[in-house]
Amino acid sequence: MRETQEVLEMQICECGEKNVAQAIEIFQNTSLPFKKAKKLVTGCNKSCCRVALMKLYDMKDFGRYDYDEIAYAIEQRLERLKRLSEGE
Amino acid sequence: MYDYEWDRLRTWLEQYIALDKSITSAQDITRLDLSAKSLKEIPKSIGILSKLLVLNLSNNKLSSLPESMKNLTSLKNLDIRRNNFNVLPECITHLNIGSLNASGNKLENIHLLQSCKELKVLDVSANALGKLDNFMHPDNELRTLNLSSNLIKDMSAFLLHLHHVERLNLSNNLLVKIPEEISYLQFIEEIDFSSNQIEKIDDAFFDLEVEIVNLSDNNLKELHLHSLVSLEELTLDENDFTQLSIEENFAPYLKEFSCDSCSLREFLLPQSKSLELLCYSSNSITTIPQVISRYEKLAYLDIEANSIEDLPDTLANLVYLQTFYVQGNPLCEHAKKVVEVLSPNICDLNMKSGITIELAKVKDLSQMAKLLGVLFTIEKDFTIDFEKQLAGIEALYEQEGTDLLVAKYENSVIGMITMQRLISSAEGGFVGQIEDLVVYEEYRQMGVGSRLINKIRVIAQEHGYKRIQLAADVDNSHALAFYNRRGFNKTNLSIYHYIV
Repeated sequence: MRETQEVLEMQICECGEKNVAQAIEIFQNTSLPFKKAKKLVTGCNKSCCRVALMKLYDMKDFGRYDYDEIAYAIEQRLERLKRLSEGE
Repeated sequence: MYDYEWDRLRTWLEQYIALDKSITSAQDITRLDLSAKSLKEIPKSIGILSKLLVLNLSNNKLSSLPESMKNLTSLKNLDIRRNNFNVLPECITHLNIGSLNASGNKLENIHLLQSCKELKVLDVSANALGKLDNFMHPDNELRTLNLSSNLIKDMSAFLLHLHHVERLNLSNNLLVKIPEEISYLQFIEEIDFSSNQIEKIDDAFFDLEVEIVNLSDNNLKELHLHSLVSLEELTLDENDFTQLSIEENFAPYLKEFSCDSCSLREFLLPQSKSLELLCYSSNSITTIPQVISRYEKLAYLDIEANSIEDLPDTLANLVYLQTFYVQGNPLCEHAKKVVEVLSPNICDLNMKSGITIELAKVKDLSQMAKLLGVLFTIEKDFTIDFEKQLAGIEALYEQEGTDLLVAKYENSVIGMITMQRLISSAEGGFVGQIEDLVVYEEYRQMGVGSRLINKIRVIAQEHGYKRIQLAADVDNSHALAFYNRRGFNKTNLSIYHYIV
């Protein structure tokens, strides 16, 4: 299990170059629906980081952050990218 | 007679604080939560729990389960998500489980499931499943299937035995087409195919009686929408269409239609008169047709970031329209007038950017006391007295265990919330008492209240509070609905005052 601070510093969106802490801050400072709030983080229409961002957004509404879950979602995406680049 | 197996198991369970004090025998245990204990193995003695119904082994480091688990004949719900399984544990073939969550492992095949005839809910998302054939028994009862975030390229080989499935999630895979075999999904209600590489959809798909479809983030270029007579929600966002058309017989009861970022030049008009949500943001649309007024039930319209200069007068006839996103268009004065007449509850044109949520400072206290006057005009139990309110806010500010947040716009306080720490004997620890959530009327419907409550909930989590609670005026229906929407549950308690 990672420390909370370690998770907060993990990069969640490469396009917008945002880490978890920055994404949380952006989501907390908007009441826009997810599709629009996501663009504030990514700055683009791509959906590569959607799974992790959607979890984070839902956690904001739920009022409790599960940092292990977020770290896992980010790691899963990186693992998937690695597998795909290896031709699986 | 002394039961060594039970004694060993009880000692092991107590070590992980997984046992209630009321449990005196193995037969008493029906539910067991062993999640997030860093477990690498489960003792063989678990097999004596013949009454066990629910077993949660998620978030551990397990790669196998003991063979003795095949004796858990009552087990209905098994959760092994986020472990290290490369293959499904063999013991599941002997069990009559109705629900299995094995997401977040390293599974490459799931053929053992052919023995699980009674399975109704299956989640094997976020694994390494690639080539899948018929992994379920021909007479299976599966209703909900989550295969998202795998490496599946072709679904035609496994659709045959999914005849009872009602909810299917295949998002985030490598699918390139929706094949003819999709017609086997006779009872399907909800499908998620988002984030694949789908280019082609077989005509059989349009004969399904599905209600919710998500096809966003695929490689669809040409799509001719027709039939789908039961469809209520369709999401096509982030497809780079060169041609998208809608036939008259398409989805007569459609309620939600979303085509954000689809390279559209034309505002398409589905025939359904039941439409409540319509999204066409980030396209190249130049004109909104007059006939948009036929969507009498429309409550949400998003045409943000297009090339629209004018809006039709008929838009003002949409009396149920509550949310309207229209920014990012080169709107003329007439269009702005239409928005003004329409006067939706939430409109990005009216939203003010630059509203911040921050911890209250000394200089904010008098503005906060003034703002409380707005709250007390709504709440009949209180009277407005600036001096008293200022004294109260100053005392709160000085008190240990309190949190005061303000919403600010151009350096002025436009909203506030306070939370005080209390001790709850019921919860056995600290809880937070929320009071004084108020926003000036001209800044409402911009999400300021939501942001204040979200921030205070995060602070409560950081403090380790067991619960947060608040009291709301029974006549303030807006406030009651607001708290309900944000997950607050009404209690049976009433508040009594006694003036000392």
